Amino acid sequence: MKNWWKYLCILLLFYTVIMGFLGPIPELNILEESIRNLYFHVPMWFAMMTLMFVSLVYSILYLSNQKIDHDIRAAAFAKVGFLFGLLGIITGSVWARATWGAWWVFEEVKLNGAAAALLVYAAYFILRGSFDDEEKKARFSAVYSIFAFVMFMVLINVIPRISNSSLHPGNGGNPGFNSYDLDSNLRIVFYPAVIGWILLSVWISTLLIRMEKIFRKKHQLDIE
Amino acid sequence: MLSNILKLVKKEVQLEWRQKTALGTIFIYVLGTSFLIYLIFQGNITIPTWIALFWIIALFTTVNAVSKSFIKDANEQFYYLRTIATPLEIIFSKIIYNALLITVLAFVIYGVMILFFNENIADKGLFLLTIVLGSIGFSNLFTLLSAITARTQNFVLLAILGFPIILPLLLLIVKMSELSNFAIQQKDIYMNLGAIGLLDVITLILSVVLFPYIWRD
Repeated sequence: MKNWWKYLCILLLFYTVIMGFLGPIPELNILEESIRNLYFHVPMWFAMMTLMFVSLVYSILYLSNQKIDHDIRAAAFAKVGFLFGLLGIITGSVWARATWGAWWVFEEVKLNGAAAALLVYAAYFILRGSFDDEEKKARFSAVYSIFAFVMFMVLINVIPRISNSSLHPGNGGNPGFNSYDLDSNLRIVFYPAVIGWILLSVWISTLLIRMEKIFRKKHQLDIE
Repeated sequence: MLSNILKLVKKEVQLEWRQKTALGTIFIYVLGTSFLIYLIFQGNITIPTWIALFWIIALFTTVNAVSKSFIKDANEQFYYLRTIATPLEIIFSKIIYNALLITVLAFVIYGVMILFFNENIADKGLFLLTIVLGSIGFSNLFTLLSAITARTQNFVLLAILGFPIILPLLLLIVKMSELSNFAIQQKDIYMNLGAIGLLDVITLILSVVLFPYIWRD
């Protein structure tokens, strides 16, 4: 069972979708059934942060030993991380419409931070496209991606804490989700959901890496 | 190392002073933009708008002023610089020079904005401190990014890379500018100054650590 984690991923996501839509939830005003989005919206950000961290590690590795393999991996993880960030924004926007009454709320620093973080990584892809030379592209984008990760952390973890104006649970004086989840009904779906989505995001990334390597082999490019 | 850095800074200043067109370009840019905004807003704006416009002009001026800081060294000078100075000396000298340039430009923008709009920040000393701290942060980030973009032929790239990355600092600076006009609690001022200082230090460390990887070719 070399690919046990892929089976685990499928199992956990089936569990997430079935229990997510049918499982018991606490009875809450305003939130009501929309609380089920907890199993989809929040794990997207966990997956994005995980992948961006992995991308950062590969960028640092590239700078220390110049293996093009590390650059391919850094780019692939960042791409899939970007995708999950987009999904996080979309699921969040739908949820915001249902509970806060608008698709986008200005006073919400986390939304603006997330959008800015996506812009940071969009710029990373533009930068990658701006070089003809393979080695330069890998080196310069590795440097930029280290910057990008630090600012990503500042944008979504530091700024929301300083400004203290957020509508999210657990921020700006709002009660956190654990205060709603008195009988742990949410928890038993939420934790497996986080692991399941992270595994899925890693799985997609590995497929992307394999595609890129096959492409490079076909065109007789270096893959080590 | 310190004397070498000072010499390199002096070299930058002398070069800039010799080519007065380049310096003139950026000053006329500042005057032109401020005048344009004065006419568009028809001469009267509130303090929050004043602050927002000030930093927008400062940001665009910075991008224009810093974008050429490594293009000059693209050819033969590049090899000469490599033989006489270490990467650390070069990045420090460039950051110091750009910080000086941006601070001077921001002061000019400040003067022009006071001249055109009859509005001013209440606590001028604190606002000047904000300008200096902000200019240092701008310099730390844009100097390194301009070293990256100097090797591409994509001239919009500096703005694309820089704007989202400068955002956390910019938000803090705008907040700080508003606090220097009107602050309810003294505590908020210290917290914001501390956060800006911390970001300046983080960006400086990142730039200095990562620059050697860009410099070797």
